[in-house]
Amino acid sequence: MKPTQALAKRVTRLALNTKSTNKGYYKGTGTGSTGWHTKHGGYIIDWEKVRTYVVPEGLSNCKLSPFVTKKIRPQKGRFEGDPKGAFSGERYLEKWKQENGED
Amino acid sequence: MRPVVRRLLRPSQLQNAPPTFLLPSLLNTSQQSSPFSSTSSNPYPRDMNRERGVSTQRRTGLRQPVSISKTPLPKPVLDPKKRSKVEVDPDHGLWQFFHSKEKPMNTPEEDHAHGRAWTVEELRQKSWEDLHSLWWVCCKERNRISTESYERQRLDAGYGDAEARGRDAQVRVTMRGIKQTLTERYYSWQDAQQIAKTDTEVDLSGEGPAYTPMDYVEEGDVLEEETQLGTEVPLSSEAKPEAKAV
Repeated sequence: MKPTQALAKRVTRLALNTKSTNKGYYKGTGTGSTGWHTKHGGYIIDWEKVRTYVVPEGLSNCKLSPFVTKKIRPQKGRFEGDPKGAFSGERYLEKWKQENGED
Repeated sequence: MRPVVRRLLRPSQLQNAPPTFLLPSLLNTSQQSSPFSSTSSNPYPRDMNRERGVSTQRRTGLRQPVSISKTPLPKPVLDPKKRSKVEVDPDHGLWQFFHSKEKPMNTPEEDHAHGRAWTVEELRQKSWEDLHSLWWVCCKERNRISTESYERQRLDAGYGDAEARGRDAQVRVTMRGIKQTLTERYYSWQDAQQIAKTDTEVDLSGEGPAYTPMDYVEEGDVLEEETQLGTEVPLSSEAKPEAKAV
């Protein structure tokens, strides 16, 4: 199913970019907000919103690779018919009790 | 001395000598070369544009000499074979954007020789530190693949883009799995917190032990069972990551 051929060029004009139309039209670039605008035209950065990149400490010694050998067949997790499956809190609590409960 | 003057000073010609007041002009026999025009090249031409006629594209040079006009400028070596080699640090961080230092990119065979992505079940065994490191390893591998794809296009190297995309897809599946594991852990942890509020064995208030197993409280001679469990449980928890370690 295709749109009407006659409308094609008119419809393409509606795909606006950041530089088009008058003031009041805002279109982001996918980088995310890092603060808020002041009423005088300035911008205040909220450092809680600013993203930081934390490098893992053992990265240079990491032996893990993005790939796994094909000889090991991929296996799915078995949850014994539990509808919550991997998200179940009961399983988490059981595992915690076994491994971590007694300090 | 001009030939004219020499002829005149010959004794035979002295009777036909020119008048004496003309002698200074005949004696001054310096070569005179005057330009066609008497005006010097004006730094301000008619339209007051000092850059008139000066072009970098046509290499005209400047109208007026500058301080470095007398300094000989270095000339570029046009033949690439005659250029001196640039010293490169073998441990430079930017080498990590390439698979090998010897060649600009992997061959399609090398790119194709990868395993499969991690399954979520395998990733569930991994600790936070391992998952964090694995995520960064995946990011760096994707950067490498992307750099080599760009190089392949720039140098018009030929085949290899399909294999690179296949490799990249597998890395992205691993990254998807990591995100899945972390989401599962978080949601199940939240759920467990809710359940723990109603669990009599668990006390998360901060006063006293968090976990008091019911069996220990009820039965007196359960100590043997507890010690057995105590030795069994750490073994099984250690065996699992080793068996599935890559």
